[in-house]
Amino acid sequence: MRKIFAMLLAVVTSASLWAQSNRQVTGTVIFAADGEPLIGATVMPVGSGNGVTTDLDGNFSISLPESVKKITVSYVGMTTVQADVTSTPMIIKMQAADYQLDEVVVTALGMKRERKGLGYAVQDLKADDLNTDGTTSLASAMQGKLTGVEIRPSSGAPGASNQIIIRGARSFTGNNAPLYVVDGMPVESTPDFSTGASVTGANIADRSIDINPEDIESVNVLKGQAASALYGIRASNGVIVITTKRGKLNASKPTITISTNISGETVSRKFERQTVYAQGASLTAYSPTASTSWGPRIDALPDDPRYGGNSQGHPGMYRNPKLEAAGLDGWTTPEVFDNVGRFFNTGITENTNVGIVQRTDRASYSFGASNSYQKGIVPSTGMNRWGVRGLTDWEIHPQWKTGFSANYSSTKITSAPGANSGIMNVVYSAPAEYDLKGIPTHAPGDPSKQILFRSVSFNNPYWWADNNEFLQHTDRFFGNSYVEFAPSLPEDFSLTIREQAGIDSYTSNYSTLKEVGSADDSGGLIENYGVQRRVFNNLVTANFNARFTDFDFDAMLGNEINNNTARIWDYTGRNFNFYGMPTMANATSFQSSEYNRETRNVGFFGSVGLSWRSTLFLTITGRNDYVSTMPRGHRSFFYPSASAGFVASELPAVKGAMPWLSFAKFRVSYAQVGQAGEYYANYYTTPSYGGGFYSYSPVSYPIAGVSSFIPSSTFYDPNLRPQNTENVEMGIDLYLFSNRLRLEYTASYQNITDQIFAVPTAGSMGYTEKLTNAGKMRTWAHEASATMAVLQHKDYDLNVGVNFTAVNNRVVELAPGVESIFLGGFVEPQVRAQAGNTYPNLYGVAFKRDAATGKLLLSQGLPQGTADSQDLGNASPDFVMGFNLGGRYRRVNLSSTWSYQHGGRMYHGTNLVLNYFGATKESLPYHEGTMVAEGIDEATGQPNTVEVSRQLYYQLYNNITEAGIYDTSFLKLRDVTLTYALPRIGGLDASIFGFARNVLIWSKLPNFDPEASQGNSNMGGYFERFSIPNTSSYGGGLKLTF
Amino acid sequence: MFKNLIYTAAGFTLLLTSCTEDVMDHINRDEANPPASAVSAKFMVTDAINSTAISTWGGGYAWFTASFTEQIFGTGNNQLMQAELRMRSQTASSSTFNNEWNATYANLNNINQIIAKTSPGGLNEGQLDLRGIANTLWVLNFEALTDLHGDIPYTEALNEAITSPALQSQESIYTDLQARIDQAIADLTQAKAKGLNNASAQDLLFHGDANSWLGLANAVKARLLLNTSFRNPAVYPQVIEAAEAALAAGFKGAQLTIFNGVDCDNSWTAFQWSRYYSGSCETVVDLMTDRSDPRLPAYAVNVYAAVPYAPAGDQELATATETVGFPAWLDNGAAPLHLFSLSELHFILAEAKARTGADPTANFAAAVEASFADYATATESPEIADAATDYIASLGTPTLQEIMVQKYLAQTRDEQIQTYTDLRRCRAMGETHITLRNPNNTIGGVNQWPLRLPYGNSDVISNPNVATAFGTGNDAGNYLFTEPIWLFGGTR
Repeated sequence: MRKIFAMLLAVVTSASLWAQSNRQVTGTVIFAADGEPLIGATVMPVGSGNGVTTDLDGNFSISLPESVKKITVSYVGMTTVQADVTSTPMIIKMQAADYQLDEVVVTALGMKRERKGLGYAVQDLKADDLNTDGTTSLASAMQGKLTGVEIRPSSGAPGASNQIIIRGARSFTGNNAPLYVVDGMPVESTPDFSTGASVTGANIADRSIDINPEDIESVNVLKGQAASALYGIRASNGVIVITTKRGKLNASKPTITISTNISGETVSRKFERQTVYAQGASLTAYSPTASTSWGPRIDALPDDPRYGGNSQGHPGMYRNPKLEAAGLDGWTTPEVFDNVGRFFNTGITENTNVGIVQRTDRASYSFGASNSYQKGIVPSTGMNRWGVRGLTDWEIHPQWKTGFSANYSSTKITSAPGANSGIMNVVYSAPAEYDLKGIPTHAPGDPSKQILFRSVSFNNPYWWADNNEFLQHTDRFFGNSYVEFAPSLPEDFSLTIREQAGIDSYTSNYSTLKEVGSADDSGGLIENYGVQRRVFNNLVTANFNARFTDFDFDAMLGNEINNNTARIWDYTGRNFNFYGMPTMANATSFQSSEYNRETRNVGFFGSVGLSWRSTLFLTITGRNDYVSTMPRGHRSFFYPSASAGFVASELPAVKGAMPWLSFAKFRVSYAQVGQAGEYYANYYTTPSYGGGFYSYSPVSYPIAGVSSFIPSSTFYDPNLRPQNTENVEMGIDLYLFSNRLRLEYTASYQNITDQIFAVPTAGSMGYTEKLTNAGKMRTWAHEASATMAVLQHKDYDLNVGVNFTAVNNRVVELAPGVESIFLGGFVEPQVRAQAGNTYPNLYGVAFKRDAATGKLLLSQGLPQGTADSQDLGNASPDFVMGFNLGGRYRRVNLSSTWSYQHGGRMYHGTNLVLNYFGATKESLPYHEGTMVAEGIDEATGQPNTVEVSRQLYYQLYNNITEAGIYDTSFLKLRDVTLTYALPRIGGLDASIFGFARNVLIWSKLPNFDPEASQGNSNMGGYFERFSIPNTSSYGGGLKLTF
Repeated sequence: MFKNLIYTAAGFTLLLTSCTEDVMDHINRDEANPPASAVSAKFMVTDAINSTAISTWGGGYAWFTASFTEQIFGTGNNQLMQAELRMRSQTASSSTFNNEWNATYANLNNINQIIAKTSPGGLNEGQLDLRGIANTLWVLNFEALTDLHGDIPYTEALNEAITSPALQSQESIYTDLQARIDQAIADLTQAKAKGLNNASAQDLLFHGDANSWLGLANAVKARLLLNTSFRNPAVYPQVIEAAEAALAAGFKGAQLTIFNGVDCDNSWTAFQWSRYYSGSCETVVDLMTDRSDPRLPAYAVNVYAAVPYAPAGDQELATATETVGFPAWLDNGAAPLHLFSLSELHFILAEAKARTGADPTANFAAAVEASFADYATATESPEIADAATDYIASLGTPTLQEIMVQKYLAQTRDEQIQTYTDLRRCRAMGETHITLRNPNNTIGGVNQWPLRLPYGNSDVISNPNVATAFGTGNDAGNYLFTEPIWLFGGTR
């Protein structure tokens, strides 16, 4: 280790010349906003030597060798400044850290542009802006910070997938996730496998989990198509450009950072069930096998005619046959257990990062190692991620530069299943009088014979945790290397030619283990599946810049090749000989499949930009892509974009008349970007049986050595065209009062035509879907943000930021005759895309209602469902807001991020089923007695007068999906962090911090956190059924820099 | 210098830029799935047969109609509970049978392509045995669809150019099905004469034996004709003729025996093991008890030591889980699955003979005996088969009512779809041989017993012709309870 380090130093540091005389340099450090001196600012020589700090008047005096030409000055809460050494006393003005002016931002393909000249909105987050403490996921670190970007977590489980959607969806059923680019190289970020209809099984992580948020120096979000157009076909969903940490400022010695944080997790909202009524289907009889809690009062159990002890010589007790099955005395006294609370562990999240960065005159390097460890709140779940990264930029010659970036990660996740193969339903519905944790999970001497209060078509959650497993393990390497040539040209002209080749290569292994005696696959199952993916990406670009008196000109040409190969396999063994060895070797029947897939994209692109006196900026781009996954003759497509920025505040007239106006820009852009389909020539396929009512695959080919081929159920349109997204974006940026108040607003209109999707066809066609172009979506997105430096002082500051996003993503039409399409769910309910609705909407059985009054149409006094599924409302929220509130007093810094969501709906199967089961507190008034429900009697058309049992009414009411549709408005404290930066000791900077994350303050949804749901696909976030719950975390950490 | 660099870069780019159509075609090839032109009809026949048994006649259609016929009690507090309680959100929902609807049409698409491949100009021209098999399966699949749904897409179905196939009248469909089964019989007769066996091992039902298929085709023809008895009361002699032809071909029943209960389970058992929604029903138990039926212990097994069987429509037991007992064969994954049982063929003959004044006794006895043998095999209880003779003797001379009752009991095993058709047919003819006892069949004076099944959701959503027929809003599916299918007196 030390050797490598020494070698690195040798490579990058030019030999120092010691035989030089020193000179004395003096100066004053002041706060730019008010001219007050800064006391205790650190002044460091660049190159070699020791630093000093400023005195009470902000003055410093430092003795420097002649070889040192620059100093850096740093101060808590301020942007570090690097300045040339002068012989006269220096005045160093420092700005508050969030102060940005004339900043250069990274746009498409690594091009650097002045922020003020961009004709479209970009948003970037610096390392300090990311809430990385107490989480392992980048998506979660960005929540609440961005406008126009929707981040929908699936749960709080370790490695849980997130859906990131920028300015609404563009594809009904396809990929809507943005492209991730790390250090100039596109990397895979979507899940290896979709959770499909998302009604069984565990969540599958998305591949952005391999990116350690702590490695990130900045995230730049290219939202509009004009911003991302140069990335071509893969960028229609926007681009997340990530730059990893590297040496920023010239320094004589490396900066070493060690940070660690640890937090404890609890369920963000714990389900509190009713504890009055016992297991059973009716008030009159205790039933030790029922799934429902509609039984007698728990305190009345000893009176039960069949199981009560009062009449059977066991006064005050009742008999539970499940206890006897477990080898215990069946007679027990009524008691109430907190089955939910006792099931969850306190989760742990730990992140440790070590980083070394340095920059010298001609080179910079960075090295990092990290570990993230999580133990989930659900027993046996967790995550462990190790990462190592290295990065070098080296100017080998004034005209030549080279460098590389390399990242390795190993991510292991164990997770729990949700929905119908889940365990949460059993935990939540466990009767209060049943000791779920205490009663053995299996029969004495037979670990494969489960014991549970209800039918073992569901696993006992403790038995599940002891026996079954869902494991995801990914080993991944991604990185790239480049060489850059910038010939010497006359001043005011520059040319840079860059070649970059990169690779993203990973192997993901998934393993599902079900021991003998599992609820489904009761004979035992081991399924090992996975993907080995290798993405090669080559990028050649040539950039030319020219400056004239009034005009600046730039042009770029380039080529990109992206080749993606994947081997996908699945080996399944079933029916173990005996319990205790859930391995392939113990299986008695086997199935296997293997599949190789290659795709290739080749793109040619160019852009031309022109600016006039830093006032008017114009950019035009074009890209032509060739895509292998489209049919012959339909593989090539061209996309243009144009953008313009007009900086009104640069006009002399404005400058003079409105001194309070620091910056004013109007921007407008237009772009087209396409998306390709996954086309195959029409084919035959081996049929399979499964799905529907089957919890397993009862019949699979080959059968006794005989296989079969039948026409595929998908028909592929050989005239498939690329889908097109047309985008017009307009916006205004106003910075007022020396930039202390910044207002930004963007309106974006997307017109998505020729949608490629598998159009669900009438089954009577003999196919169930046809992959073709059909359908239109139109999206209006409004994004606004206001940030204000309320207080700015050298000792304290207060910053407030508010952001607002409203996306209206309307499905204008689907294929002719097609009313709606399935995105996920059961036979009923489902998440769908439906013409005339926003995307997506919920769909299921509604209450039969009287057309005139809208009241329930009752039959014999009871509610009824419609015969067929109907639209149950739009799922996406009306708007979301983020609030960032932060302040500093001397060395103490407080930052907080809040999220507010208004409107939106989800299907909450857990609430619905638990109401139906009589397990919720909401059900309490319905366990006893009768009622006359309000509604119209269907037979007579008159108001209902029929008296019915309250229980029956409540059960039938909650048997109708519409009763399970809930408003998802909520307010959350995403993150609050309190940091104390300790005074500098020797060469050591240290800060300690404490934080809390994801604290649900208020939500319209009862009993649960609305940010936990099923699925890693487009339906994610809107469909919940016994999902692993979300968590809140509380923790602290330490950061050392020396 | 600069020029050289540009040239180098351009050359480099071209070298790597492999994006010609041929290269891209090669990259996009699908290694796991063959093109249509590469697959011979015999590989398609395998699943055409299996799917007919597993997905159509032994799938969800049977699981639900078994509750309507009271041969099975729907329990388990979910979909079958809703069917048992005759809730229209289940019985009239287009989602309920969507899987079966789609699977049956997908199978018909396969069958249609077998017929094309084995017809003149096709890849397997001249393989008349395969064409005969395919036409027999065509009829079996469309028979199920039209008997259950009434008017359905037929001539315009299975055509990728027609996205909204029109509904066709059941009358015209039945006419075509009869012509098709005659075509199948003709093809199979020829194939038998020529000694063709193109399917051999690929046929997991009859090993490609044309004669066995000839027997099945005739049996199917007999049933088709019987189904028209309300519309055509003079049909019975033709029924007898076709059924006798089946027996003459040595028909011993068509049952899929690929199952082993380990890694290949019959669909009824797989459904039960997945859900436990099927229970034993008192309606059957009472009929068996009245006759001291030796099949009763196999039918109502007190699996949970709780309730061995439930009265049809019992709300509490329908809502219960793991409470109501169920037939022993539902716990036997290796039980064979019927496409057409020998007992059914004999019951058809017995009924037709009884209605035309002929003596049904021999066929009745053969039918009951075949049922006993089937119960014995399916439950691995040979003693049931041994008890057949005494039982048949105890029944005396068969009446029409007893024939229908025994057919009902025999088809309780796995042929409930035909029971549902027979019940509706007899009702149309003004006869009630089996008294249905589910109190939910009429709620508030309104009939809740479906006279037919709702169309599949895929057509209701994507085919305006079907959507119109199905209805919308509060009216959606109401016709299912008021209008019988054309065969049984309705108009559609």
